[in-house]
Amino acid sequence: MPDQNLLTMLRTMKLIRAFEEALAARPDHGFQLISSGEEAVAVGLCASLLPSDQLLTGGRSIGPALARGVDPSRLMAELLGRSSGTNKGKGGRGHLADPARGFFGAHAVVGGNISIAAGVALALQMTGKDAIAAILFGDGAFGAGALHETLNISASMKLPLLFVCNNNQLSVSTPRSQALAPTHLSDIGAAFGIPSQTVDGMDLNAVRKSISKAANHVRAKRGPAFVECISYRFASHSTTARETRTSEELAEIRALCPIVSQSRALKAAGLLNDILAQELDRWVAETVEEALRFADASAMPDAEEALLDVI
Amino acid sequence: MSSERRSAMHKMFFREAIARAVREEMRDNPNVLILGQDVGRFGGSYREFDGLFEEFGPERVRDMPVAEPAMVGMGVGAAAAGLRPLVSITYMDFMMLGLDPLINYGAKLRYKTGGQLTAPVVVKTTAGAKGQGVAHSQCIEAWLMSVPGLKVVAPATPADAYGLLKTALRSDGPVVYVDHKRLFPVAGEVPVDEIAIPFGSARLCRSGTDLTITAHSFMVRTALEAAKLLEKAGLSAEVIDLRSLAPLDINTIVASVKRTGRLLTLEEGQITTGVGAEVVTRVMEHLGPIDFTRVGPLPAPVSSNRVLEAACLPDAARVATAARLLQSSGKLVCSN
Repeated sequence: MPDQNLLTMLRTMKLIRAFEEALAARPDHGFQLISSGEEAVAVGLCASLLPSDQLLTGGRSIGPALARGVDPSRLMAELLGRSSGTNKGKGGRGHLADPARGFFGAHAVVGGNISIAAGVALALQMTGKDAIAAILFGDGAFGAGALHETLNISASMKLPLLFVCNNNQLSVSTPRSQALAPTHLSDIGAAFGIPSQTVDGMDLNAVRKSISKAANHVRAKRGPAFVECISYRFASHSTTARETRTSEELAEIRALCPIVSQSRALKAAGLLNDILAQELDRWVAETVEEALRFADASAMPDAEEALLDVI
Repeated sequence: MSSERRSAMHKMFFREAIARAVREEMRDNPNVLILGQDVGRFGGSYREFDGLFEEFGPERVRDMPVAEPAMVGMGVGAAAAGLRPLVSITYMDFMMLGLDPLINYGAKLRYKTGGQLTAPVVVKTTAGAKGQGVAHSQCIEAWLMSVPGLKVVAPATPADAYGLLKTALRSDGPVVYVDHKRLFPVAGEVPVDEIAIPFGSARLCRSGTDLTITAHSFMVRTALEAAKLLEKAGLSAEVIDLRSLAPLDINTIVASVKRTGRLLTLEEGQITTGVGAEVVTRVMEHLGPIDFTRVGPLPAPVSSNRVLEAACLPDAARVATAARLLQSSGKLVCSN
C-alpha cells in the first residue's frame, strides 16, 4: 500500500468523524445515525472496492458514503433536507444514494438491503460486468431471515457479492451477546461454503487486508465472501437515542479509537508528522465547513416536490 | 376504456397467453428474466411458463429456493440495477413474505433517490380459492392498491392476461400482476398481433341499463353469470372488468353509473377496506350519493373443505340476489 493511500485513508477517517460531529451539532433536521468509532470499517471496505463496484449499506451510512467518494457537500445537503442533496432531500438519513459514484445506496430497514444487494450482484453477473456488489450491514441485521436466505442464494448462484458485517455489538441497545447465537458471526458463512473471516474492525490495516482478500475472491468470480468486522460504536444509536452504557464502559471503548491508533502507527513508521497531521486536519475542517456552507445556502424542496418521482 | 384495434384472433388458454407474453418480451429484451419456484422444467405451478426454460435456459428462467423475501428483494434489486425481472410468487398468500422489499424498497425507490433509480420489476402471483385452504386462497390485492408507487393489475381473460403482462414487463416501476387459479383452464380469443394493454383502462364487458357491476379477475365471470340470471328477472346489468386496480379507471365506472344509477361491486377478497369500498367512494366523489351495494366473501377464512369454501365465496346467485335487493330497496337515493 503506497504511503499516499495510507494518508488518504487516515484523512477520510478524520473527515467522517468531523463531518458527523458537525452534523450532530445540527439538530434542525431531526436525528442522525452517526458512526464514531466505526470509521476503519467504512474506509477499509471502500479502499478494497473499485470505481465500477456498487456498495449498499444499512441505515448507518454516512461513513461508507464519504469513504466511497460521495461529495461531502451534497451529502450534507441531503442530511439537512436540501434539494441540492444527493437524493434531492427526499431520502435523508438512512436512504443516501449516489449510484453514479458506486454508492448504490443505503436502506434503513434493518436487513432490508441485503437481498437487494444480491439482485444488484445478479444484474452485474448477468450483464457480464467485472464489477462486484458489496453489502455492509450491522449485527442487528444478522438476526434477520433476509441475511440467511441471501447467503444461501448467493452461494448457490456464485453471485459477485461481498458481505461485510460491521458488528458494532449493539442493535440499538440490545447487546449482540444477548441476541445472536454464533460464537463468531462469520461462522454462518462456512455453513454455506462461503469463505468467511472475523477481523478487528478498529484496525484499519487489518480491515483493509481482510476485505481486499475477500473482494479479490468475489472479483475472481468464485462466489460470495463474508467478513465480520468487530467494532465499537462510541455514541448511542442515534443523536437523540438514550445511552445505556456506563461512562466507564464508554471511556474504555473510546480509548480504542481507530483514528488515534492509525495516526500513531503512521507516525511510528515515519509516514506522518505533526505538520502533515495539521495539514490533514485543516483540509478536513475546510471540507466540513464548505459542506455546511453549501447545505445552508441551498433551499429546502418545494412542497410540490412531494408528488414528484412517486410513480 | 381502451379502444383496442380489431385484429385477427386465435383461441388460447389463459396460461398460454401468459407464456406468450413472457416469451415475446424475453425475445425482445435480453434483460427480462424469471425468478420463481418451479418455473424451470416444471413450467410453473400452472404451466404458465411452459416452454420458456427450454427456449431461454436456466440463467433466464431461474428456479429459486423457497425464500420469498430474498427472491422479491433480488428481483427488486436486479431491476434497480438494470434488469427486468418477473418474480413468480406461487400463491398470493406468500406475497406477504415479500412485501418488505417490494413496498419499503421497490415502490419507494424512485421517490427516495430523487429519480436516480427505479425498480421495473413484475411480481406475478396467483390469487383465489380452488380447494387449497386458508393460506393458499386469499385475494389481498386491495392491500396493495394504496401503496404509492405500486401498480396492481388483475386480468380476467386470456387477451387481458396477455396484453397487461406485456405492459407490466415494459413498465418503469414495480407492478403486481395477479391471476387466479380458476382462470388458468379458461380459453379465450387473443389477438394474433402483438398488443399491449395500457394500465388504468377498464373494460366494458356487458352493456346494461339498470345497474353497474364492477369486478376483476375471476369474479368478472361470476358477474357475467349473475347478469344472465338478472336478465331473466328483467334486470339489465352492465358489467365492467376493472382490469387495473392501481391506477383505477374511475372515469369508465362513473360514466356507467351515471347511466344506470346503481352500483354493485363484487370481489373475492374481503370487502372491508376492499376494492369495492374504494370504487364506491370514488364514484360518489364524482356523482354524490348513489344506490350501491358491496358483494364479497363471508368475513371468514377460506377453507379447503368444499362445503365451507362454497359457503364463503360469492357466486352468481348471491350477486343476483344482492342486485335485486339493491334495485328494490333503493336505500340511498340519488339526490337529483
